[in-house]
Amino acid sequence: MIAGTASVDELAAGAPEIAAFGAKSVRLGGVTGLSLVAELRRPAREAVLPPGLHPIVPPAMSLLAWDVSESPWGAFSAAFVRVVCRSGARARTFCVGAAASTDDAVAGLRSQFGFPARQAEISLRRHYDEVDLRVSAEDGAGEGGSAGSGGGNGRGNGLMLALSALDPDPLSVGDLQHVGSMNLAHTPLGLQLVQVETHHEPSRVERLAARIEAFDAAAWGQPLLDPYWVVSCSVSLEDIEIPAIRFVCDPALPASEGTERVQ
Amino acid sequence: MKFGIFYELSVPRPFSRANEWLTYHNALEQCRVADELGFDHVWAVEHHFLEEYSHCPAPEVFLTAVAAQTQRIRVGHGAVVCVPEMNNPIRVAERAAALDIISNGRLELGTARSSTWTELGGFCADPDDTKKTWDEFCRVIPQMWTDDDFGWEGARFEMPARNVIPKPFQEPHPPMWVTVTTPGTELDAAERGLGCLGVSAAPFAEQERRTKEYYRRVANCDPVGSFVNDQVHTLNFLYCHEDYRQAAALGLPMVGAFSMSNAHLYFTREAYPTRAYQTLGNAGAALRSRGAPNGSAPADDPSVAKGLPEGVGIGDPDHLVRTIRKWDDVGVTGINFLLNAMEMIPQEQVLDSLRLFATEVIPQFQTPAERAARVQAPTTVPDISASDSTAPSTMPAGASP
Repeated sequence: MIAGTASVDELAAGAPEIAAFGAKSVRLGGVTGLSLVAELRRPAREAVLPPGLHPIVPPAMSLLAWDVSESPWGAFSAAFVRVVCRSGARARTFCVGAAASTDDAVAGLRSQFGFPARQAEISLRRHYDEVDLRVSAEDGAGEGGSAGSGGGNGRGNGLMLALSALDPDPLSVGDLQHVGSMNLAHTPLGLQLVQVETHHEPSRVERLAARIEAFDAAAWGQPLLDPYWVVSCSVSLEDIEIPAIRFVCDPALPASEGTERVQ
Repeated sequence: MKFGIFYELSVPRPFSRANEWLTYHNALEQCRVADELGFDHVWAVEHHFLEEYSHCPAPEVFLTAVAAQTQRIRVGHGAVVCVPEMNNPIRVAERAAALDIISNGRLELGTARSSTWTELGGFCADPDDTKKTWDEFCRVIPQMWTDDDFGWEGARFEMPARNVIPKPFQEPHPPMWVTVTTPGTELDAAERGLGCLGVSAAPFAEQERRTKEYYRRVANCDPVGSFVNDQVHTLNFLYCHEDYRQAAALGLPMVGAFSMSNAHLYFTREAYPTRAYQTLGNAGAALRSRGAPNGSAPADDPSVAKGLPEGVGIGDPDHLVRTIRKWDDVGVTGINFLLNAMEMIPQEQVLDSLRLFATEVIPQFQTPAERAARVQAPTTVPDISASDSTAPSTMPAGASP
């Protein structure tokens, strides 16, 4: 069985800090969500994950974007780049990079849930015939970009991600599978993978054909990511609850040995 | 109760040509021993690209070798993936018929549709369509076997009229099955008169509920083939040793490693939102059976992965007899066993386990007549010099379903 080979010390360098595990969930209302899965090339398979997580075959990336109308942090947009993996036997993702549009959202995502969020301009536009997503670094740090399955890149203009998705096809609201994130964070229990679940109440789900037009892997914190083959893309209208953290895992140990319950 | 052995052909890392060779040839030796010991079936899966978990993309080749090296055990193609990007139904019918001839009428044909994105995506198959193409394959294959002039214009397959040859040796054709991974597929099997080839763990109570409903529906089915195959088989692990603790010490890690390798597959539902895949395949079933014995939602504690499903075939002979009686009580007509995973158990011990099981356990579930039939002499090859060579006077044992 294969496991991640990334250096935990190197991964820890930019990890957020959770000073105390909160006891309350966070509710996000009126969310337009976008979820995209793309296959990655093989060099990224083990190299981007800590030893406590297991890659899947083929390696894949999950890209998530939210446009949130109501939350304790106000209205905001966010995007998350996650590597699909397993924690023990369970389907999870490892969040390598995240961005949010407001200071409050960046702070909340980092300090409550350990998402490695940075500030960025995020535009998620849903039309009846297409959906567009653009993420640009506010500090212009988007250079060194690599193209995904499409052409173009983010070199020099701060563009971290651009994708377009066409031809929405309605699905049942139960057809979309949501997978939780494992976020590396400094916590009261030391450096841990924080297990973040999300509960979704969708009112509409559509599947689309998507194309990644630009993806700056370095700007998302992991230059090895190369989403070259889009598997699926969906948009949803939903409310989301992020429950308080209940489990953390030692990033250097398998889940069966390194898991602790925090509440 | 029928007893079979079941092959995913899982290969240990690091992968090497030698490891794959060893896995295949150990399995062939196990098949020869199982044949001599009176096991009823050998099943081999069709999986593609599933590193470590299953290196068995061409089961018809493996099963042809099994057929050539054995005398009486039935060979189960379990199962051919009924997705046109992977298999054309004409080729399925042709290959199966040839294997039935080579094996002297010992073929069982399983059908499936694949549950992983790893496989469907690798062949650029559309997950939305796999239930539909499976249904169409199930209808056309038995007609190709029995009609001399078969043509078809369906939703996803068509062909002008041809005589698909050769015809299978069994009259009218080999028994057909469907692999049942997710709850509800057993009902699809029942309504089509197909045998229920369970390939995921379910607790006794859940299996009993599903089996009861299967038998209720299959009694009034509209069979896709020329006859109804109303058998219910379930998948299990086998490691039998006189000492229970030794059995557990070797057998349970094998179960855990195999289950973990299954959980690490990339299931279609996770990768591709679709109405056609409502569960996470075997992985979901395994988690349910471990985390939620009463059928409630699985525990989400990531450290919970050590439990075992009910009724696993690991233990001493007395324990296995008691376990199999429970499977018998819930209506299961056959159990197919995985004997090893990633070659974790040394080959000699796998063979010892098989022999002990055949000596101490199988006789508890057979009448003397059944026992005698199971270990009878090799099948009789038909006399092709007879005046009517199309109707052999002596059919091989098991040729009639």
